Amino acid sequence: MTGIKNNLPTVANLSGTDRETIETGLRRGANRREVMSWLIAAGASIAAAGSIVSTAQEALAATPKKGGRVKFASDLHGPSDTLDPGLNTSTIDYTRGRSFYNSLCQINDDLSTRPELAEEFSANSDNSEWTFKLRKDVKFHDGSPLTADDVIFSMSRHYGEKSTSTAKTLVADVKEWKKVDSHTVKAIMQGPNADLPVILGTPQFKIIKDGTTDFQTANGTGPFTLKEFSPGVRSIGVRNAHYWREGANVEEIEITAITDKVARTSALLSGDIDLMQALDPKAIRKVESTDGVGVWSVASGAYFGICAMTNTAPGNNPDFVKALQYIQRRKKIVKSVLKGQGTVGNDNPINIAYGADYCAGMVVKEHDLDKAKFHLKKSGITAAELNVAEVAPGLTDTCLLAQREAQKIGLDLQIKKVPNDGYWGAVWMKTPLNVVSWNMRPSANVMMNLAFAPDATWNDTLWKNERFGKLLVEVRGVTDASKRAEMYCEMQKMISEGTDEFPGSGMIIPAHRNYVDGKSDKVEGISRMPLGSLGGYEWPEFCWRTDA
Amino acid sequence: MQRMVFQRILIGFVTLWVVSVLVFLMTNALPGDVAQIVLGQSATPESLAAYRAERGLDQPLLFQYFSWLGNMLTGDLGVSKAGGATISSLISGRLGNTMFLAALVALISVPLSVALGLLAAMYPGTWIDRTLTFGTLALISVPDFFIATFSVLFLAVYLGWLPAIANVAPENTFWEMARGIAMPLIVLVIVVAAQMIRMTRAGILNVMNSPYIEMAILKGVRRKRIILRHAFFNTIGPIVNVIALNLAYLVSGVVIVETIFSYPGLAKLMIDGVQTRDLPLVQACAMIFCGTYVILIILADVAAILANPRLRNPK
Repeated sequence: MTGIKNNLPTVANLSGTDRETIETGLRRGANRREVMSWLIAAGASIAAAGSIVSTAQEALAATPKKGGRVKFASDLHGPSDTLDPGLNTSTIDYTRGRSFYNSLCQINDDLSTRPELAEEFSANSDNSEWTFKLRKDVKFHDGSPLTADDVIFSMSRHYGEKSTSTAKTLVADVKEWKKVDSHTVKAIMQGPNADLPVILGTPQFKIIKDGTTDFQTANGTGPFTLKEFSPGVRSIGVRNAHYWREGANVEEIEITAITDKVARTSALLSGDIDLMQALDPKAIRKVESTDGVGVWSVASGAYFGICAMTNTAPGNNPDFVKALQYIQRRKKIVKSVLKGQGTVGNDNPINIAYGADYCAGMVVKEHDLDKAKFHLKKSGITAAELNVAEVAPGLTDTCLLAQREAQKIGLDLQIKKVPNDGYWGAVWMKTPLNVVSWNMRPSANVMMNLAFAPDATWNDTLWKNERFGKLLVEVRGVTDASKRAEMYCEMQKMISEGTDEFPGSGMIIPAHRNYVDGKSDKVEGISRMPLGSLGGYEWPEFCWRTDA
Repeated sequence: MQRMVFQRILIGFVTLWVVSVLVFLMTNALPGDVAQIVLGQSATPESLAAYRAERGLDQPLLFQYFSWLGNMLTGDLGVSKAGGATISSLISGRLGNTMFLAALVALISVPLSVALGLLAAMYPGTWIDRTLTFGTLALISVPDFFIATFSVLFLAVYLGWLPAIANVAPENTFWEMARGIAMPLIVLVIVVAAQMIRMTRAGILNVMNSPYIEMAILKGVRRKRIILRHAFFNTIGPIVNVIALNLAYLVSGVVIVETIFSYPGLAKLMIDGVQTRDLPLVQACAMIFCGTYVILIILADVAAILANPRLRNPK
């Protein structure tokens, strides 16, 4: 199985980013000669370049094969595993959700949406009312047909005091879900919101059968039917023969988790699993150099960073925050800590992965010790304590790097390592300096609304900027593209830089991380949707085995 | 003798009760509760309150303790605060897996280590003894996660002989099962046998210094016979105790091995429970582990009493 590859390189040998460049090039219509000339310019031999392009073309042209079994290992599971979409919080839950249920709308790789259970959806002129027309040929696993009542029931679980939904804030601005007829529902919004379809494509809004209370089994409409569900052990799904779309390619899917990252990687290398979530950056080289397995890396808006709480010292001193921002060696963090699997951050939660809403004109802060020293001196602070838990891979190393740079400007930055376990309840948003990790959200507006709005529950630094909050709501109704871009740009500048009068958010975001996962070369058809691991968990229905 | 055995059992029960109080208090002292952990980064005060009310987490602590103890005594382990499944259903499969592995390991390692320990004691100072002493010392010094990770890299990734993760599922054939469980079995046998071999050897050599052995030597009894007939039975007490401790370790302490091989055992379930602050689950697991310890130690004590004529027939 293992050993160094000694035959001609294939496209699978390339790093995720390079592979993406080539495949995107081919998809956009670059011909074989053009792509080969890029490779040769980059130092590849003609034979190697030819081999790489051929395999890339094969990968794109191949038609899915039917049959076989795919085994996926996530990084975390336990007694809290659940088949209740509303309680989903982890990749393994989301993947199960995608296997056994469907959403109203499905998210494409570029964050646009396509119809799923709703064969058609549209908004009124100012995006304040959305109408969803349901497909009529959809059946639940128990044989009953999908109707508007099921959708209304599924949505109602995200409202009210008794709701334990982990995503209720995302749809809080829907005033009412109204049944129009047996296969049409309407969402009446409190205000305009153009992002509703993409929000409904996220994991928690899966459609369940009207009246479901028992989640020991999954009665969904999804591409697999549940055969076994053992929390903390594994779940098995069997191909749903009565599926309303073409149906899954593989006959059976096993979803499990291997919590130890070394063990998980070993299992991938030895072929015991086909797909793994969360590849440790340190293992990327090993996986890339091993035959039969490869890295699946998707650039996303997910980020990690340091939160300087703005309601207390030292974070309430904008100069201190600026000093911390200028000591960040952003490029080095992407290159060394993330092993190239990320993009440079600019203390801005929004990056290019969010498309048009990203403010591309902003200048990225360079590593600048003089400026840092100047701001530190102005702040008068000489020592601080930073609480660090490894809630994202590479976060501790990033903080240790900051500690070393801080020394150079005369700041004694103590790193206090705290366990991941219990971190969100006991440390995050409670200690003056702590760290955070956010997954990418379906839109820039949702992301900023969750973590930066003045009244947001999860406002990492308790940053309050009323004008920001006002813009955030206003922009949802703006249909003019240039006006919208201008507003988003102003908001991102407020977060990242601030003004003398209204300081920035206190967030130090040195990098956005890619989702880096591992996969066997025998499994194809994995999406590149950037909202989560392994192409945003969209793969169960579409993946296929080359050896089936 | 009966009084002594009875005393031991009584002490066992008292220990279990004290443990139950400690387990309950300590699990409740962990920072963050199940609602915070389950809802994680995405918790809001309202969803936290809703979650707590739904699962009775807002009741006073003393009330929670007594209802828990009462339910436990009647065999009702409660419902998982995290996933909502009953704890007995979560535990039963896992307990079976753990017991299965522990029994296999014990079946191999106990005879093996007693035999090797005897062998080393029979020929002290020879190459057999030195090899065994050196080998066991080396293995005791190497942490179990290292042995486990190393064997995965070597046997699964490099050679590809055995699966990297311990697949045990009801539908597996015997052969698949054997292959799946081989690696944790090897690692655990290595870990526990080393200690038992050393203890057996040390115990016997210790007895060999006593006057009645000297008497037997003077009488001209052969060394082999002295060890098997006279020394061994007098060492049973300490050996059985070491065996009991190792068996208890196999039930409760193999979390590292279970994690590395992703073996669905009880210890890993408890760690998952701690991570999600699923207190009833943690408490149930802790009680099972303590119960195992207490029972095994009582058995060891009883065995030691039976093996010792002075305790068997007190004056």
